[in-house]
Parts: sequence; C-alpha cells; structure tokens
Amino acid sequence: MLKIEAQPWAAMVEHGRACFPRECCGIMLGSVVDDPARVCTVAIPCTNAYQGDQKDRFELNPKDQLAADRRARELGLSVIGFFHSHPNEDAYFSSTDLKHSWPWYSNVVMSIRNGEFSHAKAFIANQDQSAADPEELQHD
Amino acid sequence: MPKILIPTPLRQYVDKKDTVDIAGASVGEVLGALTAQYPDLRKNLYNDEGKLRSFVNVYVNDEDIRYLSKDKTEVKEADTISIVPSIAGGVR
Repeated sequence: MLKIEAQPWAAMVEHGRACFPRECCGIMLGSVVDDPARVCTVAIPCTNAYQGDQKDRFELNPKDQLAADRRARELGLSVIGFFHSHPNEDAYFSSTDLKHSWPWYSNVVMSIRNGEFSHAKAFIANQDQSAADPEELQHD
Repeated sequence: MPKILIPTPLRQYVDKKDTVDIAGASVGEVLGALTAQYPDLRKNLYNDEGKLRSFVNVYVNDEDIRYLSKDKTEVKEADTISIVPSIAGGVR
C-alpha cells in the first residue's frame, strides 16, 4: 500500500497539469512503514529528459535522481518510487513503463485529460520485470 | 575507503544498510568486492555476461562512469559511488 500525503500529492497533480500535453515525471521520497507498505511525504517534480516527443514518453535525468537521493538521506527518508503522467490516456502501466522500471519501487501513473487530473493508479514491477502488480494507492 | 550509496530496493540484499564502505582502486574492484560480500546483489547489478545491466547507472561523485573509464574508473578514499536506477516510460 502506498499512502501519499496531501502536500506531495498536490505537487504531483500540479506537475501533471503544468506539463500537459507532455508527460511529467518526478521522484517520491518517504518511509517504508512495514515493507511493502510505504508513505510518501515529499514529491520532487523533475524535468522530462526524454529527447523526442514527450507527449507519450518520459525519462528521468540521473542527476535529478542523485540529488533526490541526497535530499532523502538528509531528511532521513528514502527514495520510494517515481511518478509520471499519461496525457489524454488512462492510468495504466505500459510495456514501456515496465521495461524501464525497477522492481520494488512504487510507480504512480496519473491520467491527465485536457489538462485536468482524471485519475491515478500505482504499480510495482515484479523481480524480473515481466509484469507489474497494482499497488493500493491512498492520497489525502 | 570509497563509500557506496545503496538505492532503496537493493538494501534488502546488504543487511538493510543504506551505505557500504568497500576498499578498492577502481569502480570494478569496489563493485566486485561488494557483490562478493553480498552475493544476492550480483544478479541485480550484472547480466549473465558479467557486464553492468543496461538499466543500472553508476556514478562516482557526480560523474557517470560511462563518460569516464567505465569499470576501470579510478576511485579514491573519499569518493562516493552511487548506483542509480535508469527510469523511463511512456504511454505505449
């Protein structure tokens, strides 16, 4: 189960709206409560680093991940996952999402339709990245 | 000795530590010693050919080793090695 506190959730949704019609992406920091249950307390909106049409692709810049990891350690938190948006598409975990994910992490996908938040779902890739399981998502 | 920052998903393979200090003169030596000490980590970092998996980025301080000397990149006592997951995706 992934619980996202109100402040990071608002930041994630706003980033999805601001980037529309391009995909947004970002990093979630938080705590592992009772593995695999985790709480996201900080969301870091990042620049989409994909070199190409960003309406249906995203890529995180590893330097943003380095900075996020440093910030997490300073705050006594961990990087617990990532988020991105699907502009004018549903919130599902695509084959591209799965191929470029890592096991264990929470992956939040937000559906942004016509510039407004529609819905979101969370997923965790299995160990060999052959499939992703839905993760229960709660947000304030 | 060089410090390795362990990303959250891999801490389960290193006794739940977030940082491991390992002696070595190059990235290859340090990561080799790390995976020798924690064998369950190996399949997460290396493919069957013994090469770093494509979705694993390794940084020495702020530099990607792919743009330095890859696994032969020298490391000093005070250096920090980060294992950074490659994360991307898309609608299709």
